[in-house]
Amino acid sequence: MSTSPENPDRALLAWAKDRYPIGKFAEWAKHKTVPVGRGAFWYYFGGISLFLFLIQVGTGILLMFYYKGSADTAFESVRFISAKVPFGWLIRSVHAWSANLMILSVFIHMFSVFFMRAYRKPRELTWISGLVLLALLLGFGFSGYLLPWNELAFFATKVGTDIVGVIPVIGEPIMYVLRGGEDVTGSTLPRFFALHVAFFPALLTVFIAAHLFFIQMQGIHEPEAWEAHPEQRKTMPFFPHFFMRELLLWLITLNIVAVLAVFFPAELGIEADPFSSAPAGIKPEWYFLSTFEFLKYMPAHVGPLEGEEFGLLLISLGFLLWCLVPWIDRGRSRRITTIVMVTGVAILVFLTILTYLGFAA
Amino acid sequence: MTKLLTMALVTLGMALASGALADDLPGGKCLECHLTVDDGVGELWEDDIHARAGIGCDACHGGDSMQDHSDLAKRSGTGYQGELSAREIVSSCGGCHSDVEYMKERKPLLPVDQLEKYWTSEHGKLLVKGETRVAQCVSCHGAHGVREVNDAKSPVYATNVPATCGGCHGDAEYMSDFDIKTDQYDEYVQSVHGKALLEKNDVRGAPACNDCHGNHGAAPPSIDAITNICGTCHSYNAELFLGSPLAPAFKEKSLADCVACHGKHLIRHVAEEWEGEKPGSTCRKCHEEGEEGSDLALYFTETFGSVRLAFDDIEQLLGEVEVKGMDVTEGEDYVEAARQGLMQARTLMHAFSKPVMEEKVSEISANQAAALEVGYAALQGLKDRRRGLAISTLLLLLLTLGVAIKIRTLPPFD
Repeated sequence: MSTSPENPDRALLAWAKDRYPIGKFAEWAKHKTVPVGRGAFWYYFGGISLFLFLIQVGTGILLMFYYKGSADTAFESVRFISAKVPFGWLIRSVHAWSANLMILSVFIHMFSVFFMRAYRKPRELTWISGLVLLALLLGFGFSGYLLPWNELAFFATKVGTDIVGVIPVIGEPIMYVLRGGEDVTGSTLPRFFALHVAFFPALLTVFIAAHLFFIQMQGIHEPEAWEAHPEQRKTMPFFPHFFMRELLLWLITLNIVAVLAVFFPAELGIEADPFSSAPAGIKPEWYFLSTFEFLKYMPAHVGPLEGEEFGLLLISLGFLLWCLVPWIDRGRSRRITTIVMVTGVAILVFLTILTYLGFAA
Repeated sequence: MTKLLTMALVTLGMALASGALADDLPGGKCLECHLTVDDGVGELWEDDIHARAGIGCDACHGGDSMQDHSDLAKRSGTGYQGELSAREIVSSCGGCHSDVEYMKERKPLLPVDQLEKYWTSEHGKLLVKGETRVAQCVSCHGAHGVREVNDAKSPVYATNVPATCGGCHGDAEYMSDFDIKTDQYDEYVQSVHGKALLEKNDVRGAPACNDCHGNHGAAPPSIDAITNICGTCHSYNAELFLGSPLAPAFKEKSLADCVACHGKHLIRHVAEEWEGEKPGSTCRKCHEEGEEGSDLALYFTETFGSVRLAFDDIEQLLGEVEVKGMDVTEGEDYVEAARQGLMQARTLMHAFSKPVMEEKVSEISANQAAALEVGYAALQGLKDRRRGLAISTLLLLLLTLGVAIKIRTLPPFD
C-alpha cells in the first residue's frame, strides 16, 4: 500500500492502522453475521431505533442553542425557534416526529423480539436492558412534552404527575420532586428540562452501551428451527450486506420523518397559564394513552385500594411479569411457551384497542 | 294526647328558636312575634343591614319593643307609627341618612345627600304634590331586608337595577296615569348596554338606569346634559363631538347630541344602526343625498365596509396557512393592531372630519397590509418547504437507489 501524498486516503488508513487495531475490527466485521429468514425484516428495527435516537441527539442539541428552559421564556423561545430561526421549524418538527417514530420503532422491536422468543437464555439481560431503555425513552417523551410550556402539555403533565402521586408510599414524594412543589408550576419546567437533557441521556447512554455490548457478545438471535435443522441455517455478513440494507432503511426512515415534518409540523398551541382551568380533551402522548385509558376504566374503589391505585398495581405487576418473561418461558415447556405467546398477542391487542379508544375519546 | 304533646313541643321549639334569633338581632319583642307570624318581616330582618348595625324596629316604627304584648308595645305614648306612608318613609329614612353627624359615626363613607337629591327627582316632586304611587326609598331598596348596594341580592345591585326600575316603568297599567312610555326596560335589555350588563355581567363597565338618570335624583336628562352623561364613559367621543362642526348645528336645531343618532334606551351596535336600509342611514335622517354630510356618511360607510372585508380576507389567509402548520403569530399581532385601530376609528368618527379619519384608516390599512404580507410570506414559505422536501426526497431517493444497486452488486452470501 502506498503512503505517498498522491493517495491521501490510503495514507490516512495506513496512519490509523499503524496506531489502532483496525485490521482486527475489519476481520471481526467480516465474520459477524446476521440470520436470514422469514423474520429477518424485524431485526432492522433495533437499528432504526438507534438511527432515530441519533437524529434526536442531533436535533436536540440544535434546539438547545435557542431554547430557554424557564416558565417565563420557554414558550416564546420555542415560538422563536419555529418562526424566526432558519430551519428552526424543521429541526423542531424532526425532533418531535423522530421521537414518536423512535418509540413506535422500539415497541415494534420489543414485540418482534418477544414473538421470536429472542429473550431466552442467554439473552435475558439484553431483554431487561431493552425494557429499561424503553422506560427511559418514555421518560424522555414525558419530560420533553412539557418543554414548549404550552397549555396542552402543562395540563397533560399535571395529569401524568397526578398518576405518579397515586403510587402508595413513594408516589407523593416522587411527585413532589418531579413538580418541584405540590403542583405543576414554573418550578417544574427546569426540572423536566434537566431530566430531558442530562439525566435521561446519561442513563440512556449507559444502557444503550450495555444493550449493544450484550448483542455483540452473544450475537443476534437465530430462529429456533435451526437448532433442530442446522442445514436450514442461513446468514449474511453484518458488513457490508446487513449494514447496507440497514442503511437503505435509515434513508427511507429519514425521508418519512422529513415528509411528516413538512406536512404535519409540530404545533405550539397557546402558552400555559397555571391559573387557568384545564381545557377540555386533555390527552397525553399516544404512547401513554393506553395507560391513561386503562386507569379511566377503573372503578372508584377495589377493596381497600382506590381505583387508580389498583390500576397502577395491575400495570406494575404486568410490567414485572413482562420483565420476567425470559425466566417464565425458558423453552422447556411447549404449553408455557404457548401461554406466553398468546398472552403477548392479547397484550398487543389490548394496548392497541385502549390506544384507539383514547384517540377516539 | 300524643298529638297535643307533639304540638306543644313544636311550639316550644319555635319559641326557643325565635327567642335565640331575637337575642342576636335588635328588635326585641317585636321580632319575637314577627318571627312566629307569616308576614316575612322577621326573615327579611335577619339580612337587613340596619339590623346588623344594631338599629331596632322602633327607629322607624316607634313603639315599645320591650313589651311582651303587642297592645302594650303599640299603646299610645310609645310613638308607634305602624305602617309608614310614602311620605313618612322618605322622612324616616332621610332623617338618619341626611344627618351628617349621625352617619359620620356609623357609615362615614356613605353620602348624605340622598334626601336632598330625592326632592329634586321626578319621584320626589310628584310625592310633594301628593302622588303616593311614585318610587320612594322602600320601592327600590326594600323595607325590612335592605342590603348593601354591592350585595348581588340587593334590588339596587347593578344587574338588578333595570328590573327594579322596570318593575314600575315597564308596567303599562301602573304607569297609565303618568303619560310616559313603558318600553324602556324592553328596549334596554336589547341594547348594547343591557346585553353587556345583563348577559356579560359587566357590572363595572355597562350602565344601568341609574348611571344615566341618577340614583336618588332620578330624572330624564335635559338635552344639554346628554353629552355630559354619555361622555362620563365615552369621554373621547364626547370631546370629539363637541369640537366637531355638528355640535353647534345640533344645538341650533335642539337635537339631543348623542341620543339624536344613537337613540335612548335601545342603543345598538353602531354597524347595525349605521348601515340600516341605505349606507349611512343614521346621517340621512338629516342629510339629503348630495349634501356634504351625505358624502361624508357614504365615505364612512364605504371605508368601514372595506376595512371589515379586508379583515375577512386576512383571517381566511392566515387561517389557511396556520392550518398547514405555518406560524402566523406576527400576522395575528398586526390584525390585533388593526382591530384596535378600527375601534379607535369608530371613536374618531365623532369628529366628523374626513382628514382625521383618513389618517386613522391609513394606519389600519398599513397593519392590515403587514398582516397580509405575513400571510403571503407564510404561503410562500409553505411552498418553499414543499419544494425543499421534493428536492431532498429526490436526493434521498437517488441515495437509496445507489445503496440498493450497491446491495445487488455485493457478492452473494452463503
